[in-house]
Amino acid sequence: MDTASLQFVFFGLAVALLSNLSRSRIWRSAVLMLASVAFLGLLSHNPLVFLPLIGFLALGYAGLMLIERGWSRTMVWSLLAVIFVYVWLKKYTFLPEASFLHFSYFTLGLSYIFFRVLHLLIESGDGGEKRRVGFGAYLLYMLNFTTFVSGPIQRYDEFAQDQFANEPIPLGPRVIGLQLERIVRGFFKVNVLAMLFNMVRVDALAQMSQPLPASLKIYAAFRLAVFYPLFLYANFSGYIDIVIALARLMRVRLPENFDRPFSASSVLDFWNRWHMTLSNWLKTYVYNPLLVALMRRFPSPTLEPFLGVICFFVTFFLIGVWHGRTSEFIVFGVLTGGGMSINKLWQLGLTAATGRQRYRELRMNTVYAALGRGLNFGWFGFTLFWFWGDWKQIGTVFSALSAVQWIGVWLAVWLAGTAVLGIWEWLRAALLSFKAAEEPLLTSRYARVVYASALGLTAFVITFLLSQPAPDIVYKAF
Amino acid sequence: MTESNPAEAGNMREPQLPRRDWILLPMLSLLTTVLLILGTELIARLEFSDSATGLAPCLILNDISTGVRGVPNSECWAKATESSWTEYKFNSCGHRAGMECGPKDPGSYRVVMTGSSMAMGLYVAREKSIAGRLPWELSRLTGRKIELYNASIGAAYGGTPHSVALRFNEVLAAKPDMILWLLTTWDLDHVSDLRPQEEYLRAVGRSTSAHSVSASFQTSALGRAAAKVGAESIADLLYEQLKAFRFRVLLTHYLFMSQSLYVKSYLKNEDDAVGFLKADWGPDWRERINEFDGYAANIEEQSKAAGIPLVVVLVPNRAQAAMISMGEWPEGYDPYKIDNELRAVIMSHGGIYVDIFPAFRTIPNPENLYLPVDGHPDAEGHAMISGLLAKVLTSGVVPDLRAATQQQAALEKTK
Repeated sequence: MDTASLQFVFFGLAVALLSNLSRSRIWRSAVLMLASVAFLGLLSHNPLVFLPLIGFLALGYAGLMLIERGWSRTMVWSLLAVIFVYVWLKKYTFLPEASFLHFSYFTLGLSYIFFRVLHLLIESGDGGEKRRVGFGAYLLYMLNFTTFVSGPIQRYDEFAQDQFANEPIPLGPRVIGLQLERIVRGFFKVNVLAMLFNMVRVDALAQMSQPLPASLKIYAAFRLAVFYPLFLYANFSGYIDIVIALARLMRVRLPENFDRPFSASSVLDFWNRWHMTLSNWLKTYVYNPLLVALMRRFPSPTLEPFLGVICFFVTFFLIGVWHGRTSEFIVFGVLTGGGMSINKLWQLGLTAATGRQRYRELRMNTVYAALGRGLNFGWFGFTLFWFWGDWKQIGTVFSALSAVQWIGVWLAVWLAGTAVLGIWEWLRAALLSFKAAEEPLLTSRYARVVYASALGLTAFVITFLLSQPAPDIVYKAF
Repeated sequence: MTESNPAEAGNMREPQLPRRDWILLPMLSLLTTVLLILGTELIARLEFSDSATGLAPCLILNDISTGVRGVPNSECWAKATESSWTEYKFNSCGHRAGMECGPKDPGSYRVVMTGSSMAMGLYVAREKSIAGRLPWELSRLTGRKIELYNASIGAAYGGTPHSVALRFNEVLAAKPDMILWLLTTWDLDHVSDLRPQEEYLRAVGRSTSAHSVSASFQTSALGRAAAKVGAESIADLLYEQLKAFRFRVLLTHYLFMSQSLYVKSYLKNEDDAVGFLKADWGPDWRERINEFDGYAANIEEQSKAAGIPLVVVLVPNRAQAAMISMGEWPEGYDPYKIDNELRAVIMSHGGIYVDIFPAFRTIPNPENLYLPVDGHPDAEGHAMISGLLAKVLTSGVVPDLRAATQQQAALEKTK
């Protein structure tokens, strides 16, 4: 079963229906557990491939038990063990090949389980209010099929609050309607928008190695830079829409993961809006402790902002590295962390040069914000070259054009991003300004029904058509 | 688009939905769906219309002694969903030859072309087809006067290798100096067919048999699923209704303009249809090439006996062209495989095989020169293919057509 496929949606809806047959938390938890195990079974029919995952979960739970039983000194060792085993199971290329397990096993969702395990270990060992996490609750939290594959990364307390509540959160026709609309929207994003954006990108990538005139190659490079960020957004946020809505139908609120990221007018703002649960996790468990530690080590108010720059770099470098196990992701991490640091330095420099008030006014300036939006989009597209490509592809793509031509491409991406995203922001604000009964017409349930029906039909037809093979020479009426 | 549902934020007590909304909202959804379908269908019918009977009135469909052939001195106008209106004029021999059948012009070198739809120039005005362009290109390159008589029949399952073998006397009767047999992968898929398939006859209103489940439906995913639960007839009916919706053509036409998406979608076909693209052929395609070998031997023997060189060329289909151009394909596939197999067959009987496959590697997006859904080349595709053919034919494989140097060509012109 493909995630975000029609089967997945129907599976999730069936589980939600079953889960709502009783309000009892035992019933709801039992349904979620059975559904999550069934989901894993649908992903792979061979139980042996799950052995490493089971081992990883057991390791995490053992660490948790030790900490909960008062062995809080073992926390650091537990964390190191979990990190090492994760890196080993994911086969990071800096480890010797011979040390890896040489049979095929299941690693889907491991990256997200990793964050959940670390979160539990840290929270249990931080000396705060103690709570016990039973084995059943631990497994449910780790294997929850709505967050298993690609998040969002939910905190355990938030999960437990809804999942184990004696009185589950209400679910009436209005909420059900909103969730169904969100599922349709998510399905459309993944199966139509993302598919179309990816199609443009793959074609552009192929054209970069074809004998084309320079003008067409420049155009292909432009499409390559522009369409991958759009694809990634439609693909990931669409999936998140589906799982958040499914979870809500099961009376669990998952955290939001995206907040119109391409509306961000700076790199710093972007990462507050893109994959929010991941960046929040790293800010909580890496950025903040690191900043505190550095400030203790170098207690100078002048240095403080620059320590923040270093912490931004480290945090977002780790975000980059976490995404993959090859050297390309190290570059992705350096670029992501570098972008954050440079943006922070720019902020500091401009504030120092113009004063806090004028800098604030500048940020509110429409043109400055639009240029920042375009620049952020272009920068993100640039960093993603090391996200989607291997060294061979990256080499082919970059060698297809001269340095001057590439500068032209990125300038065009920046300007196009500025113009298109600026128009989009203006259009969106204008459309939302039409109101009826204190509510924007565009977000009324009537408008939602209209566009959900249109998106649903389009997604269904296109999914159906593309599941059919393209015909050979057609002889219908000739 | 909003990421969250603001109406829900923090609301633990949900307001009641007004009673009228229980009727109004489903009606709104239904209305949107109906309007969207009707609107798209209307646009699709305007943009992708077709002629109901196609070329059928100009064809003799049921003569198994020759296979499908043209009605002598007939004229038809036809349009496919993706093509423009095209005129098809058949001479007194039933050929879309662009000239009357009879002896060649004195002093000219005559090429007689045979094959199926692509060779006939389906969907393309005759002067813009390979048959119209190739003699001009060859004359330009060789400095000789070259004419091309087109004896191909390519519609309604005409022009299969079996049918070409049966009508080869027509080719020889045209007194060629050289015979050009232009093949497509479709020809090899339908090596022995002599009659149109039932699906085609139904579409053009020539079916005499009771309605039966179509072959394309039987091989589709829906058909296979329906057969499992014994609901084949009902599902086929539904399938036929769905096929009648023109918006399917509209959507796939635009989607299949993408090189990657088209190849991916094309390779989803059953082995029976795309087995020729596999690096290791299954028994079905082995059998087809063996059958083809029999007809090729017969044709080559006849041309040898007449002392006329026979040149055979295979034109890649749309998916093959895209794969070759991209230079990469999924593991287990090889777009060149059928080209190599065919070369071996033709050369084993002493024929000349010319290879235009490698040239597609140097053409960016050659699939754009084919109709995206139908798969036949358009006028620009015909221009590209005739250009490639002219180049290989004048490279020395046919001594009489060896490209003249510029000086020789100028001398010929002076003469």
